[in-house]
Amino acid sequence: MRRVAVIGVGVTKFGLHDRTSAELFADAAGDALTDAGIAASAVQALYYGNVVGGETEHQLHTGPQAASVLGIPSVPTTRFETACASSHAAFRHAVMEIGAGVSDVILVGGAERVLNVSTAESTEYFAYASDAVWEQPLGLTFPGVFALIARAHMEKYGTTEAQMAAVAVKNHRHGALNPKAQFQKQITIDQVLRSAYVADPLKLLDCCPFSDGGAAVVLASEEVARRHRKPVWVLASAAASDWMLLGDKRDLARVPATERAAAAAYRQAGLGPTDVDVVELHDCFTIAEIVATEGLGLFEPGAGGRAAETGLTSLGGEVPVNPSGGLKAKGHPIGATGAAQIAEIVTQLRGEAGPRQVDGARTGLTHTLGGNTATVLVSLFGRD
Amino acid sequence: MTEPVITARAFFERARAGQLTAVRCGSCGELAIPPRELCPACHARAWQPVPLVGEGTITSFTVIRVAPRAHAADAPYAIAVVKLQEGVSILGRIVDIPLDKVAVGLPVRFRPLGAQDQTSIGFGPLG
Ligand SMILES: [Zn+2]
Repeated sequence: MRRVAVIGVGVTKFGLHDRTSAELFADAAGDALTDAGIAASAVQALYYGNVVGGETEHQLHTGPQAASVLGIPSVPTTRFETACASSHAAFRHAVMEIGAGVSDVILVGGAERVLNVSTAESTEYFAYASDAVWEQPLGLTFPGVFALIARAHMEKYGTTEAQMAAVAVKNHRHGALNPKAQFQKQITIDQVLRSAYVADPLKLLDCCPFSDGGAAVVLASEEVARRHRKPVWVLASAAASDWMLLGDKRDLARVPATERAAAAAYRQAGLGPTDVDVVELHDCFTIAEIVATEGLGLFEPGAGGRAAETGLTSLGGEVPVNPSGGLKAKGHPIGATGAAQIAEIVTQLRGEAGPRQVDGARTGLTHTLGGNTATVLVSLFGRD
Repeated sequence: MTEPVITARAFFERARAGQLTAVRCGSCGELAIPPRELCPACHARAWQPVPLVGEGTITSFTVIRVAPRAHAADAPYAIAVVKLQEGVSILGRIVDIPLDKVAVGLPVRFRPLGAQDQTSIGFGPLG
């Protein structure tokens, strides 16, 4: 496989927008091309993540639509849908296409628009990522899936609601340093613990928000990347899947797809968890961050809650997690999230993250989880 | 050719009559619910339907307070993963148990929910 680099990144502010998802993507993609200093005519393919366009915008065929709105209609374009991990799945396939020598420059990104519909509607559409025959008819929701995981983690390891709240407080503290974040204000443990239950034991402030937004990254072969400033190298990109049905998951307190994807990524890169300086991971709910830090090998199974509570995952801590504010504070436009996480790690490894910079970060990791934990992507990045 | 695996439709027809059904692999003995095409343990395609007792215990649960539109009138309601006495687990709606009595380890018994063409999996009190 040829070496692959990220040479440009772009992210819109996340939150409420009066623009279509294609416009949001195009905005981010324009910024990514400018950041890369590369002409749009050099782009040989677009790999695109979008999830509920059919439901919220009555728009399918979102790949070529996004390419048309951007103004590069003739490149081969494919939409990826792996729920919340969509644009990270798109990224992995672009890495393989460049690695295989098929293309030299690929644009990867994603976008989502959901704030144009009601919370009841978006709650329903997100639940479509669970099984339509066996689970949706029970009234299962996305928070419900992670509430079941949280309860299992509490039973098995003694994880507390206060430890989960510590994740939300930390990510809001980080988000307050990110001008692109949906929430740029700090919150307290007490506010989290006193917020209303959405799906017990998860409360409103354990949950990431619904968000609109777009993100894009430009990938290039080593030969092209060498002509651009500060290439950030893709050291690994791995995917894993798991059973859809919650009843089929042998241990709800763990996410086997995270463990498998992480093991594959570490193997590809010849690295281990202790080599990682900065992490952007999938904190759609506070418990998801705790379980992910364990699945990625940053902490032992069961130790993730205590790690969050004692500040090990804060900026300045042992291994800073979600310096961007994470999905919790930065926002979670589901089709854009994987690309946005990659953009943050690239910014960190370039040393351009300003007040949220992890000092001296040389190796970064992104982790994106799809829906009911049935899809996970893990990628590793390094700088020269 | 093998015997047809029990379909989701056939599963729910049996469920509507009060019978929870799993499938057992004729090759390695693996038990699975709901039915699927290949045995996940040995990849054989030799399932036989097996009636289950329908009793189990809650291994995790949640109370859904913000519901999808179709279930908004039911909220709040409990959903649980139930480990059946035969060893397999399945997700179901908890009914006829007060929400503050739902707990990990609580014994429950299968009961079909819904009417006509839409049956779903429920669990109620054992006694
Ligand atoms: Zn078998």
